[in-house]
Amino acid sequence: MDLGAIFNLSTLMNTINTATIVVLAGLGCLMTDQAGMMCIGIDGMMTAGAFAAVIGSWLCSSWIMGLVFALAVGLLLGGFYGLFVIRYKSDEFIIGVALNIFAVAITTFLLRSIPGQSGSFHPATGAVVKLPSFSIAGSNVSIMVPLSWLLVALTWLLVYRTPLGFWLHASGEHPESLRSVGRSPERMKYLGSLACGLFCGLSGAYLSLGYLSTFTENMSASQGYVAVACVIFGRSNPVYVFLAALLFGFIDAAGQRMQGIVDPTLTATFPYIGTILMMVILAVRYTAMKKKRA
Amino acid sequence: MKKALSLLLTLALVCAAIVLPVSAEEAKTPSLAIVVAGSFGDRSFYDSAKEGGEQLESEFGTKVLYIECGEDASRYQRALNDAAKECDIVAAVGWQFYDALDTVPDNNKDTKFVFIDNAMDEMPDNLMCVTYAQNEGSFLAGYIGAKLSANASIGAVGGEDADTINDFLIGYEAGAKYANPDAKVSRQYANTYEDPAKGKECALALYTSGADVVFAVAGKTGEGVFEAAKEYGKGVLAIGVDGDQKYINPDLIICSMVKKVGKSLYDIVSDPDSYYKGGEVWNANMATGYIDVVYGTEDMPQQASDELKAEVEELKAKIISGEIVVPSAFE
Repeated sequence: MDLGAIFNLSTLMNTINTATIVVLAGLGCLMTDQAGMMCIGIDGMMTAGAFAAVIGSWLCSSWIMGLVFALAVGLLLGGFYGLFVIRYKSDEFIIGVALNIFAVAITTFLLRSIPGQSGSFHPATGAVVKLPSFSIAGSNVSIMVPLSWLLVALTWLLVYRTPLGFWLHASGEHPESLRSVGRSPERMKYLGSLACGLFCGLSGAYLSLGYLSTFTENMSASQGYVAVACVIFGRSNPVYVFLAALLFGFIDAAGQRMQGIVDPTLTATFPYIGTILMMVILAVRYTAMKKKRA
Repeated sequence: MKKALSLLLTLALVCAAIVLPVSAEEAKTPSLAIVVAGSFGDRSFYDSAKEGGEQLESEFGTKVLYIECGEDASRYQRALNDAAKECDIVAAVGWQFYDALDTVPDNNKDTKFVFIDNAMDEMPDNLMCVTYAQNEGSFLAGYIGAKLSANASIGAVGGEDADTINDFLIGYEAGAKYANPDAKVSRQYANTYEDPAKGKECALALYTSGADVVFAVAGKTGEGVFEAAKEYGKGVLAIGVDGDQKYINPDLIICSMVKKVGKSLYDIVSDPDSYYKGGEVWNANMATGYIDVVYGTEDMPQQASDELKAEVEELKAKIISGEIVVPSAFE
């Protein structure tokens, strides 16, 4: 068994590049989880963001406009989620699932009706401008990668070191105590869902303009669900979520390179086997902690 | 007043329903439904089928229905049943329809079914299978790849570990070894036909491991292979599949191994008497012109020299005459 073929620089770059999609979406999801209304609609928000980014970049021939479009669509969907969950007290999972289904359908419909293309976006005139990137050790890295790391640090600071972070947490945990100090839990929850939309917009923009340079139908390929899993493992701590996303990315990248040794249909299940293993570890640790407390 | 209005509207609707079908003009061919397992827009396999349908529409005014299943296996059977009610001939495009076609033709005796890209052992009279000798075309692709590789190391990204895909890869490997017995051929399976991001990672893994020509055999996932070639640079190349894909990036794509799905559909529907043979498997191969290697149009930069192209023509003749027998995954 040639370990050098599995654990090398290209595996590392693969891990980092693909994990960034999950990291950004995970940050969004944890903002809602902190506010006590975990959004599983992030997969749909990513798809919509990816679509908006490509359309913006193509219409205005500028990646900045691509980002702006993606963030705007993210805000819109985040607001939509907030409106239904906070104002109309709908079930957050139902709304999340609805968002996921809706986003795939609407982007497919718009792709076929506005530019009139099916499958993927390949404009006849004009071009899709990608996000800037730089080269490390022969691999292309989008600026969104270091930006995502910066955002992990900033989100951590926001959540654990600022009053805003405490209020956000309180809005989910003890809305009444937050109200008693004169803060509106609803407003905090809206903030969480809007931030979720923004992060997912970024994630989508990275997927379609940073990592690839096109939009394809159902582009998120269920990465949003992986992000939700990472948020659960990382217990909504941005740093842990980041590490969980890297671990998932690594399992996927290493599994892909093990195809020569292990059956390829089996390597495809590695990320899921990883999920189950982590689930078990987490469950064991929780029960151990509960026993200690008792 | 309201009642009268609604009555009027209902009447208008009923009249329209009766009048409209009569006004539809008579087509010269049977109507066709193209049901694809994935979705259109892959600029490869499914789009080739669509081209055949569009050609029929424009030349004969054939009524053609396009139905996508979006890789959702639960839709296969339903889509075929629905299509059978609307059209005379139903083409199931994609090897994935294997299980669905077990029962659907028996339940729709009046409809003719065509199974594209796979064969079944036992078939009812209203089902024919079309298989393509992709191993023959891939043999040429492997030969070209090995000849253009600087270090005799090439690779391929397959959609998944399935017989039809492996048929490509086995032919590709045989062609590479024919060109250079020491050639190293590595493969990666993306396990999806719809995710270019996955295709890109697979191709990057191959390029970084030393392969400098990568054959994309994965539908829309293959788009990621071309992205990877562009990003990796250093003179690496790619080979397209099913349709003539060179136009996607003429600087990086040497040639495409084409599988003329559209042409076979066109032939079956425009001339069912000579082409539709229920209960039989039609092997569309290089000899009959349904499998080939193409290099885009004249104005595109060509990586393959005229000499190499001449060698490929010779090989083609040898495959057609049976002098070279290309190994297959279906043996």
